[in-house]
Amino acid sequence: MSELITSAAPATTRSGLPWGQWWIQLRAIVRLELRKGFRRPYGLLLLALAPLFILTLRMVVPHAIQDSADIAGATQFFAGLYQAFILRIVIFLGCIAIFGNLIRRETLDRSLHYYFLSPIRRELLVVAKYVTALIVSLGLFGLTTVLSFGLTYLPNDSTAVSHFLFHGPGLGHLGAYLLTTVLACVGYGAVFLFFGFFFKSPAIPALVVFGWEGIHFLLPPLLKQVSVVHYLQSLCPVPVSEGPLATMSDAPAPWVSVVGILALAVVLVGVSAWKIRRMEISYDES
Amino acid sequence: MTPEPRKKSTPDRRVVFEHVSKFYGDVLGVNRVNLSIPPGITGLVGPNGSGKTTLMNMMVGLIRPSRGRVSVLGLTPENPEELFRHVGYAAQYDAFPPGLTGYQFVEAYLRVHGFPAKQAEAMAWKAIERVGLVEAAKRKVAGYSKGMRQRVRLAQALAHEPSVMVLDEPLNGLDPMARAEVIDLFRELADGGLHVIVSSHILHEVDLISDQVVLINGGYIVAEGEIGDVRDEMEEEHPMQVLVRCDRPSLLASRVFEADHVVEARLLEDGRSLLIRTRDADKFHLALNEIVLANGFAIEAVAPADSDVNAVYQYLIGANGDKS
Repeated sequence: MSELITSAAPATTRSGLPWGQWWIQLRAIVRLELRKGFRRPYGLLLLALAPLFILTLRMVVPHAIQDSADIAGATQFFAGLYQAFILRIVIFLGCIAIFGNLIRRETLDRSLHYYFLSPIRRELLVVAKYVTALIVSLGLFGLTTVLSFGLTYLPNDSTAVSHFLFHGPGLGHLGAYLLTTVLACVGYGAVFLFFGFFFKSPAIPALVVFGWEGIHFLLPPLLKQVSVVHYLQSLCPVPVSEGPLATMSDAPAPWVSVVGILALAVVLVGVSAWKIRRMEISYDES
Repeated sequence: MTPEPRKKSTPDRRVVFEHVSKFYGDVLGVNRVNLSIPPGITGLVGPNGSGKTTLMNMMVGLIRPSRGRVSVLGLTPENPEELFRHVGYAAQYDAFPPGLTGYQFVEAYLRVHGFPAKQAEAMAWKAIERVGLVEAAKRKVAGYSKGMRQRVRLAQALAHEPSVMVLDEPLNGLDPMARAEVIDLFRELADGGLHVIVSSHILHEVDLISDQVVLINGGYIVAEGEIGDVRDEMEEEHPMQVLVRCDRPSLLASRVFEADHVVEARLLEDGRSLLIRTRDADKFHLALNEIVLANGFAIEAVAPADSDVNAVYQYLIGANGDKS
């Protein structure tokens, strides 16, 4: 004899994949993650503001800016700051902190099981956490990029800046830097999300990647292709000299960089989703 | 999306373990467990490290069996989207997502279930009310006492109105008043046809609340079923003890000892009580009636002395169990 099971449940689509339900759940997870995971991101804020301190110093230090009409000089300065500091240090370290802790933090504070006990696909949980981290990182580092760009040209002659922005390549540069920031968060984020699943301490492999990305300019052309920064640099609108020891190689086409980083992210998020499907809760081992 | 209760018909109304084993590397978690748990309150009893939490975690898929199969109402943990519509689990981990109030904690996970905001709000308040936490609901969980944290976990586990509640040591940290309220809540849920599976090592509470018990020790199921049935099965090895208070206990002792199923009749120090051990409690009670009528004893009380969970636990698991 069959009996009835009665449970309150949200209405779901009965045929096909429950995309509507997944969308609602994804939003709920993102909302919860933003509320509990990034309540007091003081360290991240400090990191995101660091380029602005440098640019402020540049403005107040006497003779740091020789010629206020020298837009090309400012452009070159920002290109160096962006590629050497914002991209390789600020965004890189920020992504370690944001994405590397998505699972690790909840394993340490022993609250991951609340998600595992909810009627959600675990793959969806990974995607939702990744989306949350993207929102946070893009918000922070997108703003850093825009403000740094603005602050770079602030000491310059306003007419020259206006001409550079609205009648020259200025806005295009800003767009390219923003695209690079977005793809850096997407790519590095996926890498560190992946590390969070496969390493007890994601900091160690992240340090290895940091070293690898740091010596990218010394690598032979073939190995350069196995680094995220190689593709990100190719999207930057102004090339920067990497010094006399740098090995020369052809930059990939922008579309290759964009597609390549997106593909990398899809693969790594996919593998992380596969991993979480098989994950067991054993806080005692963490 | 409009809220609507869903009714789902399934032929299986039990929580079933089939040949389930779990090993943590070389360490045994549980071994060859076969269980079929019906609705009602089931007490999962065993000393610390006996495998209670392992069994519960396997029921909800937090860990996977190394061998065998677990199903809850015919659903497996491989299908969390369906399973957790019907199952609520209050784990014993005393941990919460940081920064949330009690209400936010319950409400947020209802939203993760997919409930719309209004419905989640109403359900969260209902659950909080059921565990008696309304006044503290707007305070941060981090500031809660242990008992309040226990209750808010309970609220979170029952907020989506599951058919199966799995509760790992749910009475820990509760004061006597709260314990009584929570036990009443379990009874109310069980009377409504739910499975309430409760682990505990506080035996008298398990005895008080459970319709059936599962005794586990060293990763093996030692006994399962209604406590009376379990005790009956042990009569040969551990004769049942019956306490009788009457006016002439010495004479009664000599009379009952004539029955072959009575293995011991001992006078207690108060001079009015007699502790009788018998291999067949039913026959003994019949014989006692006849003896009392024939000899005109004035009986004050007849009570089983070792038919509760505590006695069964002592016989089956013994002093080696870390019982508290």
